[in-house]
Amino acid sequence: MRELELYYGPQHLGMVGNFSITLQVEGDRIVKASANPGYLHRGFEKLMEQRTWMQNFPLVCRINVVEPDHMELIYAMGVEKLAGIEVPERGKYVRSIYCEMARVASHLFGAWAYANMLGFDTVAHWAMYHRDLLLDMFEELTGARVYHIYLRPGGVRRDFPDGFTDRLVETLHKIGGKVPDYNATFFENSLFRKRAECVGIVNREEALRMGAVGHTLKATGMAYDIRKIEPYDAYDQIDFDIHTREKGDAYSRLLAIRDEMIESVHMIFKLIDKMPAQGEVCTKTPNPFKWTIPAGDAYVRCESSRGELGLYMVSDGGSKPYRVHFNTPSYNHGLTVLEKALEGESISDVGNIMISLYVVAPEIDR
Amino acid sequence: MVSLKEKLLSDFEGLKIDDREADRLFIDTQKEAVLSLLSYLKKAGYNHLAMVSCTDWIDEGKFELVYIVNAYLSGDQVFGKKEKKCIVIRTKISRQSARFMTVMEIFENAEPYEREMHEMFGIDFEGHPRLTPLMLERDYKIPPFRKDFDTLNYVNNTFGKIPSIEQRKEGLK
Repeated sequence: MRELELYYGPQHLGMVGNFSITLQVEGDRIVKASANPGYLHRGFEKLMEQRTWMQNFPLVCRINVVEPDHMELIYAMGVEKLAGIEVPERGKYVRSIYCEMARVASHLFGAWAYANMLGFDTVAHWAMYHRDLLLDMFEELTGARVYHIYLRPGGVRRDFPDGFTDRLVETLHKIGGKVPDYNATFFENSLFRKRAECVGIVNREEALRMGAVGHTLKATGMAYDIRKIEPYDAYDQIDFDIHTREKGDAYSRLLAIRDEMIESVHMIFKLIDKMPAQGEVCTKTPNPFKWTIPAGDAYVRCESSRGELGLYMVSDGGSKPYRVHFNTPSYNHGLTVLEKALEGESISDVGNIMISLYVVAPEIDR
Repeated sequence: MVSLKEKLLSDFEGLKIDDREADRLFIDTQKEAVLSLLSYLKKAGYNHLAMVSCTDWIDEGKFELVYIVNAYLSGDQVFGKKEKKCIVIRTKISRQSARFMTVMEIFENAEPYEREMHEMFGIDFEGHPRLTPLMLERDYKIPPFRKDFDTLNYVNNTFGKIPSIEQRKEGLK
């Protein structure tokens, strides 16, 4: 059969953001796929070299549109490591609760994207609505719905308002009460299972070879999670499970995401219970206009909702970073794993596989 | 038990190892030793290349390549097993003839990282199968992430000067 070249994207349902992929197809089978990113390249890392340590916060959150909070966290952690700043105890808890909220919101967005892509419009609307409830909580806490710019080196911008945790628990119960409905209409729906099971299989050996992290690895039975391996903030204070699946297909990946979302809600409850009632939430830092950080380099990492998120940061002793390089989970998943996972699959499953890898395009391009 | 640092120092020559952080190991090495060091670490269980990065030390006339490896530990394992969780390998290459060997034979996922370093810093990785542009669409005389790339100058020359508000008001009159 004749081989054809097919351009897929940059606008399609398989990806949040713009990202295209060139497919070599034979009939409707994919022979070879090559990813083509760059539609959202804004040169943030270069731009950050020209702005002060604190000025960079409005930039970092824009690297990942869906969950800006872990980007703020990793940047704040990098600055803290270089400057030797400690976060106060209560600040650590506030940060962890905030990041788990972000994880739930991001996974709901992921469920929306997947359901929407496969035509499960009801589920998509539910997921969007429930994410919106969480965005209301973010708005109350930070004043913004999407880009919160709430974390800062040394802690967080402000403490929880009065009664915030009660309202948060109430909201999470409201979302959690819908889980059986989600299961019935989406996760355990036979229509969905037929589309997602045994599609885009990445087995454990391949995943390890290609540097996969996060849910792609959890779907193959590896409980690789930075919150356990290298606990940051308050994650070493609570007990939680890492949920894994065995098969490594698109369905397992989505179930790994669902389980993680439910676990995150439980983690928020545990964190609220253990949180110190009083105390500072932020360490005092120098005047941001005159803040210089000693020369050196640091590598920090955390677990974003897509997997291991790293940051390599260099200071030359000045008031601006000398070099910032984000290692985002989507980079590996979207460029290396995706190309491999698409080989031999049919054209109709391209969007399906892409979205199950949970790639966010702006995170690749930065 | 012999620590990883001692093992590395006995097996390799000319390493400078900094282990003041509890779960990081910063290694400075000659560029010739990078590949053997990476495959040594991979055999020792550090089987995940987290990232490849590059810093442009323009005053020294060097590029510093940074390879970060860590171990794929599973949540069920005892976490004390690997004494240092992340290893950062740094090596300097000349800025004038910026070329290096690819590490794709050891870590397959280095491919997009090296492609990006080629595009943004102009480093040639010998043996890399596709050093084609990854993100950018235009040709740059100086690769854009180098320190001597003047962003403002580039924008003015490529897209024309953006008039100031006063100039625009004048134009409207």
